Amino acid sequence: MSADEAVISTNDDAASCKRFGVDKGYWNDPYIGFFVQKSSARKAPEISRGYYARVKSIETLVKNFLTLTECKCQVVSLGAGFDTLFWRLNDEGLVPQSYVEIDFEPVTAKKCHFIKSKKQLLEPLSGEDSEIMMSKSELHSANYHLVSADLRNLATLETKLSASGIDRALPTVFISECVLVYIEVEATDKLIKWIADSFPTALFINYEQVNMTDAFGQVMIQNLKARDCVLSGAVACASLETQMNRFLNNGWTGGDALDLCTVYKCLPQADVQRMERLELLDERELLDQLLSHYCLVWAYKDTKNVGLHNISLS
Amino acid sequence: MTDISDLDRQIEQLQRCEIIKESEVKALCAKAREILIEEGNVQAVDAPVTVCGDIHGQFYDLKELFTVGGKVPETNYLFMGDFVDRGFYSVETFLLLLALKVRYPDRITLIRGNHESRQITQVYGFYDECLRKYGSITVWRYCTEIFDYLSLSAIVDGRIFCVHGGLSPSITSLDQIRQIDRKQEVPHDGPMCDLLWSDPEDMQGWGVSPRGAGYLFGSDVVNSFCQENEVDLICRAHQLVMEGYKWHFGEMVLTVWSAPNYCYRCGNVAAILELDENLKREFTIFEAAPQESRGIPSKKPQPDYFL
Repeated sequence: MSADEAVISTNDDAASCKRFGVDKGYWNDPYIGFFVQKSSARKAPEISRGYYARVKSIETLVKNFLTLTECKCQVVSLGAGFDTLFWRLNDEGLVPQSYVEIDFEPVTAKKCHFIKSKKQLLEPLSGEDSEIMMSKSELHSANYHLVSADLRNLATLETKLSASGIDRALPTVFISECVLVYIEVEATDKLIKWIADSFPTALFINYEQVNMTDAFGQVMIQNLKARDCVLSGAVACASLETQMNRFLNNGWTGGDALDLCTVYKCLPQADVQRMERLELLDERELLDQLLSHYCLVWAYKDTKNVGLHNISLS
Repeated sequence: MTDISDLDRQIEQLQRCEIIKESEVKALCAKAREILIEEGNVQAVDAPVTVCGDIHGQFYDLKELFTVGGKVPETNYLFMGDFVDRGFYSVETFLLLLALKVRYPDRITLIRGNHESRQITQVYGFYDECLRKYGSITVWRYCTEIFDYLSLSAIVDGRIFCVHGGLSPSITSLDQIRQIDRKQEVPHDGPMCDLLWSDPEDMQGWGVSPRGAGYLFGSDVVNSFCQENEVDLICRAHQLVMEGYKWHFGEMVLTVWSAPNYCYRCGNVAAILELDENLKREFTIFEAAPQESRGIPSKKPQPDYFL
């Protein structure tokens, strides 16, 4: 398997974990089932709880952003995989002017195929008199765009964003979930800086590994390497500080970095309690250990003063 | 003597991490039941003995344990439960330990952990593994029936009380443990559940367990239990400790953890506690078996992360 193929396969893993969590009732997602089949492989409760925290916290930040900008904004999902956030937000009437998903061509091709073949996915894309343009691996509709690009290639990225009608003057949130960690830090630094330089009013939400220098982190690096998946960007995942600084050193003005243990405690506790009752967790330490090796970082640049410093998990 | 030679062959087979036939599992469980049914809820064990914590289906790490700790029957062993779940070889691990128990009943003691349960094994892997490896749940049925016969605790030379989890607010004396009718699925609450689920905590009295079963117990509780029962030490497993073992409340409670790099993910070392004939303690620390000793698994097992 090539390095890129291994990274692509992480999407299948994430999607099947999400499907399992949704089927068990951890959180609601009517769309994930269109992208990934039910698998017989059971996931441990700490995995489902961890995905719950990831899905809920990112959704909260993005909704915060959409509300703050009254949807006069754009969402760009980097390495979106089979993420369903667009459809879930659409169900709540939260549709930004443009929602762009970017991934490797094999992923966007599959996603295109699923969208074309499921009316529950396709219908929300069709506006009153707007056309949907589809190729094998790309799709453009009034508000939703799916394009293929390699995030290491900024020229292509720029072209694809323009083709998706991205307006750099509009407030824009960029999302990356376990994406930057697979890319060399030199390339992600360039990406992060290019976004800051190009978008005067922007928010970047990054979810990925942190505290990777300890025994758990080293075992993770080895385990993923054994499946050809190299964490080329792990240097930036040493601590919350290194995670925050990659933004502050590349043109972003403020933000916050929390490990997922902290994020977990910030989530609405009534629903956390409901969720925790679904399956008994035999060993809390396993969850804490996982959560303490993932972080949620958000950074902003607020030239228009839309109040991005107010973005928070509450 | 065909029985013993059969058994020896099965042990050899299991030691190569190969499963034995369903009919052999049935016969093995029948013999194990005859032995286990005679054991008390507080099984008396004589020193010297090597005390081990959770194994969790990490077969190659169990072999590593026998390498550092010595083979059965040369070394006496007490395993404090959680033989199955989470690891990729719960079937081979449990059947090997059970076969050793049947072959050398006085040399190895197995007590029950919270994972030796029908309900828990359906969530954490043993059920799925039996189904995958045998094509039916018959072997899971045989094994979970045997779980009900496993003793709940052990006492080494009358001085060291060994249990998987810890104490229970419903129990002040060993005699109360002896009165439990253990031949059942692990209940959701009550003394039998607590013994298998509770954890020590820096506090006084009893607390609510974040695990959703059992209790947290404080140092005062341990003090009075040890005094009342003339016990020097409570030895237990149940909690992952990165260093393999951990003392609580001075040296009154000891956690022993014997699954290195737990879940193939945690990066911890493992420990066993060797008690000599004078109950002098010595810990042996060991790491996960090296990759090359693990053979080539038929399906490449992968530990879970958020990807």
